[in-house]
Amino acid sequence: MGQPFHTAVRDFLDGRIWLRRHTPFPKDIIDRHIQEGFIQTIPGIQTNTTVLNQTHHTCNRCENNDPTRFTTFHCAKCEGTCTYCRKCLKMGRISSCTELILWRGEPVSFSIQHALAWQGTLTSSQQQAADDMIDSTNKGRSHLIHAVCGSGKTEMLFPPIHELLLAGKRVCLAAPRVDVILELEPRLKAAFPETSIEALYGGTELTKQAAQLVLATTHQLYRFRHTFDAVFVDEADAFPYTADQTLRQAVQKAAKPGTPVHYVTATPSEELLSTMKKTGSISTINRRYHGYPLPVPRYETLWNYEKQIKKGKLPQKLIVWTSARLKKREPFLLFFHHIGLMEQALPLLQALDGRIRSVHAAHPDRKEHVQALRNEQLPGLLTTTILERGITIPNIQVAVVGAEQKIFNKGALIQIGGRVGRSVNFPAGDFVLFHNGITYAMDDAKREIERLNEGGIGK
Amino acid sequence: MTRCLLCEQQLERRPTWQGLLGIQKKQHLCEICSNSFQRADIIEEGNLLDSVHSLYEYNEAMREFFHQYKFLQDVALADVFAGELRSVLKEKIAVVPIPMHPDKRIERTFAHVEELLRSAVVPFLLLLEKTSTEVMGEKTREERLAMKPLFILQKHAVIEPITYTIVDDIYTTGTTLNQAAFVLKEAGAKRVEAVTLIRA
Repeated sequence: MGQPFHTAVRDFLDGRIWLRRHTPFPKDIIDRHIQEGFIQTIPGIQTNTTVLNQTHHTCNRCENNDPTRFTTFHCAKCEGTCTYCRKCLKMGRISSCTELILWRGEPVSFSIQHALAWQGTLTSSQQQAADDMIDSTNKGRSHLIHAVCGSGKTEMLFPPIHELLLAGKRVCLAAPRVDVILELEPRLKAAFPETSIEALYGGTELTKQAAQLVLATTHQLYRFRHTFDAVFVDEADAFPYTADQTLRQAVQKAAKPGTPVHYVTATPSEELLSTMKKTGSISTINRRYHGYPLPVPRYETLWNYEKQIKKGKLPQKLIVWTSARLKKREPFLLFFHHIGLMEQALPLLQALDGRIRSVHAAHPDRKEHVQALRNEQLPGLLTTTILERGITIPNIQVAVVGAEQKIFNKGALIQIGGRVGRSVNFPAGDFVLFHNGITYAMDDAKREIERLNEGGIGK
Repeated sequence: MTRCLLCEQQLERRPTWQGLLGIQKKQHLCEICSNSFQRADIIEEGNLLDSVHSLYEYNEAMREFFHQYKFLQDVALADVFAGELRSVLKEKIAVVPIPMHPDKRIERTFAHVEELLRSAVVPFLLLLEKTSTEVMGEKTREERLAMKPLFILQKHAVIEPITYTIVDDIYTTGTTLNQAAFVLKEAGAKRVEAVTLIRA
């Protein structure tokens, strides 16, 4: 004892921005900590009135300030006009009369004992990128690792993360998609066996510990404020991160002021590239860790495929391609742009093999089906773009049905192709784009892959 | 920029004649979300309660809707069924929402049935008062039937010999609606009908 505050309360709250009425502690304990100044309270919604007498709201948790994402109503609790944020509603409603709390007492001090148990070795270019990132961290500068799919991006992050942990710093590894976090969690836990690690995504149980290394979906970072000494964003170009301004703000907010936010991706957006050129630094890796080239897409026409599938007829070329995979016992992924079309194609493909399944973002068995494909219990999956990144299955063969669709932009096509040939035992594989007309995105993706294979640096 | 209230997708705006004339109804949902609700229009008749009209089936989409509306307290969702409720209720002369207990109302920050009516621009009368904070959904059928009266008449409420229409979100066993109808009839209502959004 001897502490004037509960260490459990501190461990939970330090770094977080939390709803006062939703903590895992009894109300009187929280109240006492507030009275004694260990916890600061702030209003949930900041409302300012402009010169023209217009009101302007900002959510103090997610920093949303888009007027269309607020709703004002007559509140029975505060008996007045109350405004709430619809942006982060699913994390518990924040309104004008709710209070957020922040830890203001003595901060948690973190361990400086951390083993790096990863047994592999980095190639010289991986090592260079890792060293560059450490250098950038020390200078408080953001860093981008622009590395092709299958170049061992996660492993490159081990040295910079380890360095920070050894200095007793708190680190966050964030990604826009749950799938990526789920794949990273066991790898990071194996690599840092002595470190307290917590993975946060929608639906995880609340833990009260203060984890030194936090893995989180970018959404979860709404709940942190000035917490981390460095934030690493994996797959920084994935939806919804690029499309959502507040998610990018959330990442910045989660980092302590003046500390760097690092990015890792195979397909950085033009915007990210130009910002990093101006204000940060970039490492580029255009070879896969096994040294083989990236699979170059081939084009196959598939005229009027939507009409045919809707009529209940599977286009001949798809029958031939899928049958070949089944015969050779090669696992495969068929990408579709639309769930409805995919579900119509599913029974037609199941006529070739009844074990074929489909997955999409809201599919209840999504995790199980992907695992079954890994375990070779399924011959192949139909999927939307949710499986475009983060998954590694040896000898996987990939086809895109309707590659001309808008959703398959350059980045998506490069990521999809990046699923192929990742394993050193199967460094090649088929990457076919079935299309109803060739788009600029298809040509751009193909050209970029060819340029990377020639050793050129991505534009 | 308008987004679907449920899935946050941007709503497509096609130019239409109605839009040009300014008589187009305001859209709150995208086509996919809007089609996920199953219209049922079940009408059941009885003695105490003369008739109950339930507008929708209680499917997965509806369950999620109510979770977001009541549990996550997303008052904005009251707009979703405003048009449908209005078209059923606009002709009724005396609309009575099922009330919430004052404590419960403060906890939720709004009375969900009243908000539905407010969004639908249906005038209503607060004639009933809830006597306990007990929640119907947590009780078995036997427990519900054995309960003490759920409602009493509001002080100074005057009941005329006319038709009253009580409104609630969900019609399950009918305990709530029957008890409300009983109170109104005892006080002199000629006929009591009910409209609920869903039939479970």
